[in-house]
Amino acid sequence: MILSRRKRPSALISLVPMIDVMLILLVFFMVTSTYLNLDMIPALRPAEGAAAASKTPEVRLMIRLQADGTPSLRGEALSPPALAQILQKALEEDPTAQMVILPSGSAPTQALISLMDLAATAGVQNMRVLRLEARQ
Amino acid sequence: MKLKRRPRNPQSETIIALIDVVFFLLVFFMLIGRMDATAPFDVAPPQAQTGRDMPAGGITLAISQDGDLALDGTEITKTDLPAALASQLAQKPEMRLRINAHRDADLRHVLPQVSQAEALGFLDVVLVVTPERSVRGQP
Repeated sequence: MILSRRKRPSALISLVPMIDVMLILLVFFMVTSTYLNLDMIPALRPAEGAAAASKTPEVRLMIRLQADGTPSLRGEALSPPALAQILQKALEEDPTAQMVILPSGSAPTQALISLMDLAATAGVQNMRVLRLEARQ
Repeated sequence: MKLKRRPRNPQSETIIALIDVVFFLLVFFMLIGRMDATAPFDVAPPQAQTGRDMPAGGITLAISQDGDLALDGTEITKTDLPAALASQLAQKPEMRLRINAHRDADLRHVLPQVSQAEALGFLDVVLVVTPERSVRGQP
Protein backbone atom coordinates (compact mmCIF):
# COMPACT_ATOMS: atom_id res chain seq x y z
CA MET A 1 0.00 0.00 0.00
CA ILE A 2 1.42 3.31 -0.91
CA LEU A 3 0.84 6.06 1.55
CA SER A 4 1.06 9.42 0.04
CA ARG A 5 1.92 12.29 2.36
CA ARG A 6 -0.46 15.07 2.12
CA LYS A 7 1.14 18.10 0.56
CA ARG A 8 1.53 20.96 2.97
CA PRO A 9 0.31 24.26 1.75
CA SER A 10 3.27 26.56 1.18
CA ALA A 11 3.71 28.85 4.14
CA LEU A 12 3.10 32.46 3.24
CA ILE A 13 4.93 34.93 5.41
CA SER A 14 3.50 38.34 5.10
CA LEU A 15 6.18 40.96 4.49
CA VAL A 16 3.98 43.87 5.40
CA PRO A 17 4.71 43.83 9.20
CA MET A 18 8.44 43.63 8.49
CA ILE A 19 8.25 46.61 6.16
CA ASP A 20 6.30 48.49 8.81
CA VAL A 21 8.93 47.79 11.46
CA MET A 22 11.77 48.75 9.13
CA LEU A 23 10.08 51.98 8.15
CA ILE A 24 9.51 52.87 11.79
CA LEU A 25 13.18 52.14 12.58
CA LEU A 26 14.26 54.18 9.56
CA VAL A 27 12.21 57.19 10.60
CA PHE A 28 13.52 56.84 14.17
CA PHE A 29 17.15 56.90 13.07
CA MET A 30 16.52 59.74 10.62
CA VAL A 31 14.94 61.87 13.34
CA THR A 32 17.35 61.09 16.18
CA SER A 33 20.56 61.28 14.19
CA THR A 34 22.84 64.26 14.70
CA TYR A 35 24.84 65.37 11.72
CA LEU A 36 27.19 67.76 13.46
CA ASN A 37 30.78 67.04 12.69
CA LEU A 38 32.31 67.51 16.13
CA ASP A 39 35.97 67.74 17.04
CA MET A 40 37.68 68.56 20.29
CA ILE A 41 40.43 70.75 21.66
CA PRO A 42 42.06 69.69 24.93
CA ALA A 43 41.41 72.17 27.73
CA LEU A 44 43.66 70.55 30.33
CA ARG A 45 47.11 69.15 29.64
CA PRO A 46 48.52 68.12 33.00
CA ALA A 47 51.35 66.01 31.60
CA GLU A 48 52.53 68.72 29.22
CA GLY A 49 52.11 71.32 31.94
CA ALA A 50 54.42 69.41 34.26
CA ALA A 51 57.01 68.98 31.53
CA ALA A 52 56.83 72.62 30.57
CA ALA A 53 57.22 73.72 34.18
CA SER A 54 60.61 72.03 34.41
CA LYS A 55 61.91 73.97 31.40
CA THR A 56 61.34 77.69 31.48
CA PRO A 57 60.86 79.13 27.98
CA GLU A 58 63.05 82.05 26.99
CA VAL A 59 60.27 83.81 25.14
CA ARG A 60 56.88 84.30 26.71
CA LEU A 61 54.10 86.22 25.04
CA MET A 62 51.19 87.50 27.08
CA ILE A 63 48.22 87.91 24.77
CA ARG A 64 45.17 89.61 26.19
CA LEU A 65 41.80 88.81 24.74
CA GLN A 66 39.62 91.88 24.93
CA ALA A 67 35.89 91.85 25.62
CA ASP A 68 35.09 92.25 21.93
CA GLY A 69 37.27 89.24 21.11
CA THR A 70 40.25 91.19 19.73
CA PRO A 71 43.68 89.91 20.81
CA SER A 72 46.19 92.46 22.00
CA LEU A 73 49.87 92.37 22.85
CA ARG A 74 51.39 95.05 25.09
CA GLY A 75 48.23 97.11 24.77
CA GLU A 76 48.20 97.03 20.98
CA ALA A 77 45.25 95.37 19.25
CA LEU A 78 46.35 92.88 16.62
CA SER A 79 44.74 91.43 13.55
CA PRO A 80 45.02 87.63 13.11
CA PRO A 81 47.70 87.86 10.35
CA ALA A 82 49.77 90.30 12.42
CA LEU A 83 49.53 88.03 15.45
CA ALA A 84 50.47 84.97 13.40
CA GLN A 85 53.55 86.83 12.18
CA ILE A 86 54.56 87.76 15.74
CA LEU A 87 54.09 84.17 16.88
CA GLN A 88 56.18 82.80 14.04
CA LYS A 89 58.94 85.28 14.80
CA ALA A 90 58.87 84.27 18.47
CA LEU A 91 59.02 80.59 17.53
CA GLU A 92 62.02 81.20 15.28
CA GLU A 93 63.75 82.80 18.25
CA ASP A 94 62.73 80.06 20.68
CA PRO A 95 60.85 76.96 19.49
CA THR A 96 59.58 76.40 23.03
CA ALA A 97 58.13 79.91 23.28
CA GLN A 98 55.18 80.05 25.58
CA MET A 99 51.96 81.84 24.79
CA VAL A 100 49.92 82.92 27.75
CA ILE A 101 46.36 83.99 27.04
CA LEU A 102 44.62 86.27 29.48
CA PRO A 103 41.01 86.44 28.32
CA SER A 104 38.39 88.92 29.39
CA GLY A 105 35.38 87.26 31.01
CA SER A 106 33.14 89.06 28.54
CA ALA A 107 34.94 87.74 25.46
CA PRO A 108 33.00 85.13 23.47
CA THR A 109 34.12 81.51 23.49
CA GLN A 110 34.64 81.63 19.73
CA ALA A 111 37.30 84.35 20.16
CA LEU A 112 39.35 82.17 22.53
CA ILE A 113 39.02 79.11 20.31
CA SER A 114 40.03 81.17 17.25
CA LEU A 115 43.07 82.48 19.11
CA MET A 116 44.08 78.96 20.20
CA ASP A 117 43.48 77.79 16.65
CA LEU A 118 45.72 80.53 15.26
CA ALA A 119 48.47 79.71 17.74
CA ALA A 120 48.28 75.99 16.99
CA THR A 121 48.47 76.71 13.26
CA ALA A 122 51.53 78.93 13.82
CA GLY A 123 53.20 76.05 15.66
CA VAL A 124 52.90 77.13 19.29
CA GLN A 125 52.99 74.05 21.49
CA ASN A 126 53.29 75.67 24.86
CA MET A 127 50.06 77.52 25.52
CA ARG A 128 48.30 78.45 28.72
CA VAL A 129 45.01 80.15 29.43
CA LEU A 130 44.98 82.24 32.57
CA ARG A 131 41.90 83.24 34.45
CA LEU A 132 41.83 85.94 37.06
CA GLU A 133 39.53 85.27 39.97
CA ALA A 134 38.09 87.85 42.29
CA ARG A 135 39.44 87.53 45.81
CA GLN A 136 36.71 86.49 48.24
CA MET B 1 -18.49 43.77 -25.98
CA LYS B 2 -17.04 42.31 -22.86
CA LEU B 3 -13.59 43.48 -21.94
CA LYS B 4 -11.50 41.12 -19.91
CA ARG B 5 -9.31 42.61 -17.23
CA ARG B 6 -5.82 41.31 -17.41
CA PRO B 7 -4.88 39.41 -14.26
CA ARG B 8 -2.41 41.31 -12.10
CA ASN B 9 1.01 39.90 -11.48
CA PRO B 10 1.89 39.09 -7.90
CA GLN B 11 3.51 42.10 -6.17
CA SER B 12 6.15 40.21 -4.21
CA GLU B 13 9.07 41.11 -6.49
CA THR B 14 8.51 44.86 -6.30
CA ILE B 15 8.12 44.64 -2.53
CA ILE B 16 11.49 42.94 -2.22
CA ALA B 17 13.15 45.83 -4.06
CA LEU B 18 11.45 48.25 -1.68
CA ILE B 19 12.64 46.25 1.33
CA ASP B 20 16.19 46.35 -0.03
CA VAL B 21 16.15 50.11 -0.39
CA VAL B 22 14.61 50.67 3.03
CA PHE B 23 17.09 48.27 4.59
CA PHE B 24 20.07 50.07 3.04
CA LEU B 25 18.72 53.41 4.24
CA LEU B 26 18.23 51.96 7.71
CA VAL B 27 21.80 50.69 7.90
CA PHE B 28 23.07 54.00 6.51
CA PHE B 29 21.35 56.06 9.19
CA MET B 30 22.39 53.62 11.91
CA LEU B 31 26.05 53.97 10.92
CA ILE B 32 26.06 57.69 10.18
CA GLY B 33 23.88 58.88 13.03
CA ARG B 34 25.39 59.87 16.31
CA MET B 35 22.98 59.40 19.16
CA ASP B 36 23.95 61.71 21.94
CA ALA B 37 22.40 63.43 24.88
CA THR B 38 21.23 66.72 23.48
CA ALA B 39 21.01 69.81 25.59
CA PRO B 40 17.62 71.29 26.43
CA PHE B 41 18.81 74.54 24.81
CA ASP B 42 20.45 75.41 21.52
CA VAL B 43 24.23 75.04 21.51
CA ALA B 44 26.30 75.96 18.46
CA PRO B 45 29.89 74.93 19.19
CA PRO B 46 32.72 77.25 18.13
CA GLN B 47 34.58 76.64 14.90
CA ALA B 48 38.18 75.48 14.83
CA GLN B 49 40.41 74.10 12.13
CA THR B 50 42.91 72.36 14.42
CA GLY B 51 40.41 70.26 16.39
CA ARG B 52 41.02 66.53 16.72
CA ASP B 53 38.53 63.75 16.19
CA MET B 54 36.40 63.33 19.22
CA PRO B 55 36.34 59.82 20.63
CA ALA B 56 33.17 58.47 22.17
CA GLY B 57 32.61 58.23 25.88
CA GLY B 58 32.65 60.62 28.77
CA ILE B 59 30.11 63.08 29.99
CA THR B 60 29.03 66.24 28.23
CA LEU B 61 28.53 69.57 29.93
CA ALA B 62 26.59 71.90 27.64
CA ILE B 63 26.73 75.65 28.24
CA SER B 64 24.19 77.91 26.59
CA GLN B 65 24.77 81.42 25.32
CA ASP B 66 23.34 82.79 28.57
CA GLY B 67 25.39 80.48 30.77
CA ASP B 68 22.74 77.85 31.50
CA LEU B 69 24.20 74.41 32.16
CA ALA B 70 23.13 70.90 31.20
CA LEU B 71 24.93 67.72 32.18
CA ASP B 72 24.31 64.87 29.73
CA GLY B 73 21.13 66.49 28.48
CA THR B 74 19.65 67.34 31.87
CA GLU B 75 19.58 70.94 32.99
CA ILE B 76 21.55 71.54 36.17
CA THR B 77 22.31 74.55 38.35
CA LYS B 78 25.79 75.84 39.08
CA THR B 79 25.27 74.88 42.73
CA ASP B 80 24.43 71.24 41.98
CA LEU B 81 27.07 70.77 39.29
CA PRO B 82 30.16 70.06 41.49
CA ALA B 83 28.40 67.24 43.35
CA ALA B 84 27.13 65.72 40.09
CA LEU B 85 30.60 65.88 38.53
CA ALA B 86 32.23 64.45 41.64
CA SER B 87 29.84 61.48 41.70
CA GLN B 88 30.56 60.78 38.02
CA LEU B 89 34.29 60.97 38.68
CA ALA B 90 34.00 58.66 41.68
CA GLN B 91 32.50 55.99 39.41
CA LYS B 92 35.25 56.31 36.82
CA PRO B 93 38.39 58.28 37.75
CA GLU B 94 39.62 58.60 34.14
CA MET B 95 36.28 60.02 33.01
CA ARG B 96 36.45 62.50 30.13
CA LEU B 97 34.53 65.75 30.49
CA ARG B 98 33.44 67.33 27.21
CA ILE B 99 32.50 70.97 27.50
CA ASN B 100 30.15 71.92 24.71
CA ALA B 101 29.86 75.67 25.03
CA HIS B 102 27.91 77.94 22.71
CA ARG B 103 30.26 79.95 20.51
CA ASP B 104 28.78 83.24 21.74
CA ALA B 105 28.82 82.29 25.43
CA ASP B 106 30.91 84.63 27.55
CA LEU B 107 34.11 83.08 28.81
CA ARG B 108 33.08 83.92 32.38
CA HIS B 109 30.52 81.11 32.00
CA VAL B 110 32.95 78.63 30.44
CA LEU B 111 36.41 79.00 32.02
CA PRO B 112 35.20 78.60 35.63
CA GLN B 113 33.78 75.20 34.65
CA VAL B 114 37.19 74.13 33.32
CA SER B 115 38.87 75.29 36.54
CA GLN B 116 36.22 73.56 38.62
CA ALA B 117 36.66 70.29 36.72
CA GLU B 118 40.41 70.52 37.23
CA ALA B 119 39.93 71.18 40.94
CA LEU B 120 37.62 68.16 41.22
CA GLY B 121 40.30 65.93 39.72
CA PHE B 122 39.28 65.58 36.07
CA LEU B 123 42.40 64.86 34.03
CA ASP B 124 40.75 64.83 30.63
CA VAL B 125 38.73 67.94 29.84
CA VAL B 126 38.10 68.87 26.22
CA LEU B 127 36.28 71.71 24.50
CA VAL B 128 33.90 70.64 21.75
CA VAL B 129 34.40 72.45 18.43
CA THR B 130 33.22 71.99 14.90
CA PRO B 131 35.19 72.32 11.68
CA GLU B 132 32.05 73.20 9.78
CA ARG B 133 31.18 76.67 8.66
CA SER B 134 27.47 76.47 9.32
CA VAL B 135 25.91 74.74 12.26
CA ARG B 136 22.34 73.61 12.68
CA GLY B 137 20.18 76.52 13.70
CA GLN B 138 22.85 79.04 12.74
CA PRO B 139 23.25 80.90 9.44
